[in-house]
Amino acid sequence: MNYPFWDIEIGYGLLMASIAIIHVFVSHFAIGGGLYLVVAEWMAVKKNDSQMLDYLQRMTKFFVLVTVVFGALTGVGIWFIIGLLNPAATEALIHHFVWAWAIEWTYFGIEIAAAILYFYGWKRMSSRDHQTIGWIYFGAAWMSLFVINGIVTFMLTPGEWLLTGVFWDGFFNPTFWSSLVLRTGVCVMLAGLFAQVVASRYGPSDFKGRIVRYNSGWALAGLAIVVPAFIWYISQIPSDITDTAREMMRLPMNSIGVSYWYAAAIGILLVIFGFLIPRRMNLLFASVMMLFGLAWFGSYEWFRESVRKPYVIQGYMYGNATEVANEEKYREEGYLPQMGYRTGDDGADLFRRACRSCHTIDGYHPLKPAYNGTETEFIAGTIRGAHVIKGNMPPFMGIEAEIQKLAEYIYVRMDSRSIAEIHSLYGKELGQKVYDLRCGKCHEFGGFNDKAESLVGLEDEDYHDLLDMAGDLAEEMPPFTGDTAEREALIEYLRSIPEGGN
Amino acid sequence: MNLPDYNFISVPLWLLSSLHILTLTLHFAAMNFVFGGIVVILLGRINDRWNNPAVQKLIKLFPTAMAATVTLGVAPLLFVQMVFPKQIYSASIVSGWFWLAIFGVAMLAYYFLYGAAFTKKLGRQALYLILAFVGLVYISFIYSATFALTENPGLIKMLYAAGQSGLIINPDVGSYLFRWIHMILGAITVGAFFVGWIGRDNEEVLKAGKVFYLWGMVSAMVLGFVYLFTFGDFMLPFMRSPGIWWMTASLILSLGSLYFFFKQKFLFSGTMLFVSLLGMIATRHYARLVHLADYYRPEELTVKPEWGVFFIFLVSFLVMLAVIWYMLHLFFKRPAK
Ligand code: HEC
Ligand code: HEC
Repeated sequence: MNYPFWDIEIGYGLLMASIAIIHVFVSHFAIGGGLYLVVAEWMAVKKNDSQMLDYLQRMTKFFVLVTVVFGALTGVGIWFIIGLLNPAATEALIHHFVWAWAIEWTYFGIEIAAAILYFYGWKRMSSRDHQTIGWIYFGAAWMSLFVINGIVTFMLTPGEWLLTGVFWDGFFNPTFWSSLVLRTGVCVMLAGLFAQVVASRYGPSDFKGRIVRYNSGWALAGLAIVVPAFIWYISQIPSDITDTAREMMRLPMNSIGVSYWYAAAIGILLVIFGFLIPRRMNLLFASVMMLFGLAWFGSYEWFRESVRKPYVIQGYMYGNATEVANEEKYREEGYLPQMGYRTGDDGADLFRRACRSCHTIDGYHPLKPAYNGTETEFIAGTIRGAHVIKGNMPPFMGIEAEIQKLAEYIYVRMDSRSIAEIHSLYGKELGQKVYDLRCGKCHEFGGFNDKAESLVGLEDEDYHDLLDMAGDLAEEMPPFTGDTAEREALIEYLRSIPEGGN
Repeated sequence: MNLPDYNFISVPLWLLSSLHILTLTLHFAAMNFVFGGIVVILLGRINDRWNNPAVQKLIKLFPTAMAATVTLGVAPLLFVQMVFPKQIYSASIVSGWFWLAIFGVAMLAYYFLYGAAFTKKLGRQALYLILAFVGLVYISFIYSATFALTENPGLIKMLYAAGQSGLIINPDVGSYLFRWIHMILGAITVGAFFVGWIGRDNEEVLKAGKVFYLWGMVSAMVLGFVYLFTFGDFMLPFMRSPGIWWMTASLILSLGSLYFFFKQKFLFSGTMLFVSLLGMIATRHYARLVHLADYYRPEELTVKPEWGVFFIFLVSFLVMLAVIWYMLHLFFKRPAK
């Protein structure tokens, strides 16, 4: 909270993703592509295959323009964006890993110089020297992955580091090796898929058949590394993280299953178009395969980012930059005194610090649908229980007065009509809506923190008692603050649910 | 639980500052080549400039120099964030959108430079170079405005209270206008050095380089002094800091560099210019410390050395230099066949 808060309408997640996704795609391609080029050059020189050499030269131009400019600058872009979106996390990471980044920078320097010399060197250098530069390029590019991989994996699985604070514990953390193998596989796979797009532009010929088969070999080899490495990677994530994720957010965990389907789709397409009818490869099929490849990789990155919630650095700093180490201070003094930058509107400041990095009132991950028609007291209750709401949110660690201020700030921005009026509902349907809004955030029938056992098959009187006591059932559970109509409708809805839920 | 604290630096401050100043000087040298080079090419008195082989040689070098600029810019940004994270992130958040746009603009400038280098239509080159130049001017302005803002934490607080959406550019223009123009003139001077040196076999280009080197330096010095006079209350502490010695040394060195440049002793001239640039950057560094002294003193940072990893960095750094040298050797050696 030592920093101003950049309050923009675009969701943080979207802004970050739009730069980061492009960067990870291009940077992995930059590594695999380097290997692809130099290996292919080596084989072509050995066989004196001038057609192939010509194709490789063409690809180098595209490769250099994409990686050296786009890859490098989107990398710089990530630096800029993390400093704006989460300066505290950036500060923490930089202070612990500055020399890792500095080491990475030296490999980056070699990589850029080698890429440029490789590009300009096609015509003027002997093929042996030229290949030497190609190998240097690949070595440096892969080493920069090696180093960055340490920091990226650290954020999800800091492991022993949380206890020791020792650089190497954080760097060689539990998912370091599996992630390194996985990413190396991704590099190889993407190189094959990208090269396929270049190859698809050639008219049907023996040569085309040859390179399409060759490229498919690359992509399949990459895939063969990726799939087992992914299984290994998942197994290395401490089970408390995956268990919480499974319980709190089903989507990312389900995406694991989906990702196997992507992988299977790529594999099948590659075998058909790459080996059975390679000369028919066209831009459309090549692009579809590449999109599947990128979708697979994208879903992996998204999974990794999602299971890390509610943290930005697991067990160390939450997504909204509140720090685990400061919990006691927050609980005693509140958030406001810790804020280095305030605007004079405490409610707004609290909202920015506690919620705004993941939610907006009305745009990205909006709060309106969740709170329209509810009361300050209810909102305050959910803030108190933020960490038990499904979705895996950071706890609100400020003091009670701040919870009130924040709840009021949110309340006046919500629709203040009743839930019945907003949704034009009554009877059982209204009851279901009331349940979704007032209970469903924390208890899903047949799902997250299911309370069917206590909620199904009671008498009216018991329901009334339960709702009267709702605020006392648990510290994190808000009282029932709906009006009589809502209460009746909710009870009607609960009564309609058959024994055993659903 | 006692979690590892991040309020520390992992090598002594002097080492971190030296690395920052050294890498920033390298970054400036590469950037100034592109920036000043474009100015001299566009405005220098060169007949039929687009058909001049020395001009074409320079234009072909720009994309590579831009790659070097970006690459060499990463390290100083990293090191400076180690020492001044609070100031830099806070100032950049206030100007968030303008700050973020830097990398996009840099990317465009880069592609324009490639456009100028690769295009077959020579008439297009002027347009590409102008577009790239406009991008670089934007970047330099935002950097000057934002880094000037880092030196005024009180102003950051005020600006943030007035608007949180990152659409504010440092309104205290007086604090950085001269600084910015001084930097631009300095960049043209350094660029002119490269133009003269690389185009030394071409009379017209060498002459244009000399003209811009001389007048660029004179006007940069004048603006530098004007900037110094805007220091106000900070003047006295600055005069007492090592900054003043660096500044004096840099001035003398740049005059020496000018002398040797006109004698076409480029090695001497270039070395002196480089050290002078380094001195200017060190001067800026002390000016920042003086401005921040009431709020923040980096020398009070906790130092928790991590020599092991630092050593690996040092070795990697030397390996980088050696490997790049080796690759250049391969590239420039006469082909065996
Ligand atoms: C680290 C990110 C993060 C922070 C910070 C955060 N949330 Fe959430 N929140 C989520 C995610 C993710 C979900 C689940 C996805 C969704 O429904 O939007 C969620 C869901 C919710 C929901 C339930 C929506 C529904 O009905 O399903 C409410 C209400 C909510 N958040 C309120 C808040 C409030 C109030 C704050 C600030 C005190 C806050 N959140 C802070 C990430 C966050
Ligand atoms: C902000 C989160 C939250 C909301 C909203 C919420 N609860 Fe709860 N509820 C909890 C927590 C936390 C507990 C106690 C720990 C547990 O069992 O998970 C709990 C416990 C319960 C229990 C269990 C009592 C027992 O001993 O088995 C019932 C029944 C219950 N809630 C019903 C409801 C109903 C009905 C609503 C809507 C009117 C509701 N809850 C809204 C968080 C919430």
